Amino acid sequence: MKMTLYVAKNSIVHKSDPITKLTYCLVAAIVPYIIPNHLFAFVIMLLSISLLLLGKVFRKMIPIYILSLFLLITIVIIQGIFHPDNVTPLFMLGPITFYQEGLLIASLLIIRIINMLSAFGVVILTTQPDDLIEALVKKGMSPRIGYVIGSVLQIIPQMSSMVGTIMDAQRSRGLETEGKLSTRIKAFIPLIGPVIMNSLIATRERSIALEIRGFNSKRKKTFLRDEKEFLFGKPYQLLLILCFIGAIIWRIFQ
Amino acid sequence: MNEIKTENVSFSYDQKTIVLKDINLTLANKPTAIIGQNGAGKSTLVKLFKGLLKPTEGDIWINGKNTKEFTAAQLASHIGLVFQNPGDQIFKHKVIDEVMFGPLNIGQSREKAYQNSIEALKKVHMEKYKDENPYDLNLSQQKLVTIASILAMDPPIIIFDEPTIGQDDFGKELLKNLIRDLAAEGKLVLTIIHDMDFVAETFERTIVMNQGEVILDGPTREVFAKEDIIKLAKLDLPHVMQMAKVFGIEETVLTVDELITRLQRI
Amino acid sequence: MKKIIVDSLKYKYPGTDNLALNDISFEVEEGEIIGIVGKNGSGKTSLSLSLTGLIPHFFGGGYGGKVLVDGLEVRNSTVTEISERVGYVFDNPFSQMTAAKYTVYEEVAFGLENMGLPREEIKKRVDWSLQLLDLESIKEKYPFDLSGGQMQRVAIAGVIAMKPQILVLDEPTSQLDPEGSEEVFQVIQSLAQEGITILIVEHKLEKIAKFCDKILLLHEGQLIDFNHPQEVFSRDDLKDYGIMPPVFTRVCRALDIKNPLTGHYPVTLEEVTQLVKNHE
Repeated sequence: MKMTLYVAKNSIVHKSDPITKLTYCLVAAIVPYIIPNHLFAFVIMLLSISLLLLGKVFRKMIPIYILSLFLLITIVIIQGIFHPDNVTPLFMLGPITFYQEGLLIASLLIIRIINMLSAFGVVILTTQPDDLIEALVKKGMSPRIGYVIGSVLQIIPQMSSMVGTIMDAQRSRGLETEGKLSTRIKAFIPLIGPVIMNSLIATRERSIALEIRGFNSKRKKTFLRDEKEFLFGKPYQLLLILCFIGAIIWRIFQ
Repeated sequence: MNEIKTENVSFSYDQKTIVLKDINLTLANKPTAIIGQNGAGKSTLVKLFKGLLKPTEGDIWINGKNTKEFTAAQLASHIGLVFQNPGDQIFKHKVIDEVMFGPLNIGQSREKAYQNSIEALKKVHMEKYKDENPYDLNLSQQKLVTIASILAMDPPIIIFDEPTIGQDDFGKELLKNLIRDLAAEGKLVLTIIHDMDFVAETFERTIVMNQGEVILDGPTREVFAKEDIIKLAKLDLPHVMQMAKVFGIEETVLTVDELITRLQRI
Repeated sequence: MKKIIVDSLKYKYPGTDNLALNDISFEVEEGEIIGIVGKNGSGKTSLSLSLTGLIPHFFGGGYGGKVLVDGLEVRNSTVTEISERVGYVFDNPFSQMTAAKYTVYEEVAFGLENMGLPREEIKKRVDWSLQLLDLESIKEKYPFDLSGGQMQRVAIAGVIAMKPQILVLDEPTSQLDPEGSEEVFQVIQSLAQEGITILIVEHKLEKIAKFCDKILLLHEGQLIDFNHPQEVFSRDDLKDYGIMPPVFTRVCRALDIKNPLTGHYPVTLEEVTQLVKNHE
């Protein structure tokens, strides 16, 4: 079992430089907050979604959009009904009145959220995690941090299977883990205790294994994998950063 | 008389891969070994016995109780399972508290639980460590603590999952005697195990599993007589049998003493 | 040539009073396979760790005496320096996977990337060790999808790719099934043929008696014996150290069948077979 969400497809987005995609993701997610304009945010959102379509991974995003639906509906209700600026009633739903001001704010929030999810989707769904990490390490990120990010993706599924075994072991000793809330709370310590100890032991063992394979070497690390040729490298990253700076400047002089 | 009975039991985690196929077994009081390669379905089978998993098809009865009708925790006083890795259960700071956890869960009084736990620790020669922190013990001692923690619940049926891992010869001897004593007390003991010498010396009945099926089942002596099937399951014959063959003894020989007696006659 | 020199080694873990290793001295020649035996708590793991430099550098504690591996003094070197001379493999294959790589091939290359080797050299060495450990057919697989025996072989490959001249294995088969164990034992023998000096901690004496040149017997942190398997396993006092000799030796001892060539009881099935043949 792997925990990467990467979807292998042959597309121009997949072939793009991971750092450029990461830069795009960050810029696209933040800029609509700097420039609080519906049309602008909407255009960025469309851009992010078209990148998903271009990368042939849009379908994989649908479950994530659906998951976020709950949050989005909450936003509409709370802002639409209760926002302090609400004065202009727009429509009624039974006895409840929704106001224009609140709904406008809600729609901006929704656009920003969908945009942010889509922008992250572009990076996560079209980039192999190790490509991204390797690119960042080459950029000067510490290999240790790179390792931690990379290994978390693999260790979490391992941990969840460990939790399953621990749960079985304690249920075998008569511990009820299902049912009433008080039963579940009582079951917490017998479950979490072994999880923590096992993780500590595994971490210690793994750090021995890493140590023995030269992880602490002072020499400059090399990379097995060929320098992959990516599209849209440095100049595009610069361009994105310029856009970001541009947005800030626009905001200041606004 | 304790009994595990399975009827046409099959199990799969998802629709695609069948882990167990049509298992029909009646296990009664003889100490029984379950052997087979990793992935043969041994662990899944004992989890089904324990009620941790429920059969996809068929039924399992533990002393007449259908596992489908009870939670694993409810079955805990009827059937005990010692997990392979002690780290999966230990969480108390004192050995005695760790051992008493199960007995208290199944409703024993504090006095009774304490008494049973001390008895159980004695059986595995660990009573002198009762006030130690289990995390300060080595792996083989921790394993003995987890065995005691199941014994203290006094279930009529006890399952061990790879009890000899990490044990030295002293530990193996201790386990061998323990399994015999438990059987003498009338308990049903099942053990998943890879150590064929230990199987030959300790268990009266042996079940061989391969790719989710029971391919051989019977008295240990008869099971090891079928070398071709043992090989098919990618298992070895016990070392004494390999040695007996060198001396031209074709019948099954299970222990060192038995081989010595046979050879003295020649 | 002496590959390992251990001279009056003493060690105690931090926060403990007892010596885990008490005045141990021995020497190992290039290409030898040494089996380390003793009951639990006798110091087998501590001795293994002190050859890798993890004792004292990783574990700390009190340390005396000297350990030289391939001419390098352990106490004065870093674990990284030692790791290019001494490989180390332990019982749990899961914790030896880096969990940062997605294929067996990349997993094996991990140590070489850390060593900073050029890409061509990395590839050459990875190919070499995959071949040696018979892993070529699964080189594109995800490490955590492998069986225990395969995963343990990947762990060994990752260490061997760094071309250590010494390999230390601490109960490498204890968590494996019979087939997986056999895979690992086979591999150890082919590594020895490559000239790698091997030390292995193992409870399965019937297996290691076959290929070990010498057995190192430990008890309560002290070295009791360091000799050929036939001699060590023929000792009358072996039980006092919590060790049962191999089945073959036990039977032959009871029947007083000695190998006339060595003057000792046989320790392997092959030896017994040979004796029976000669007798006929």
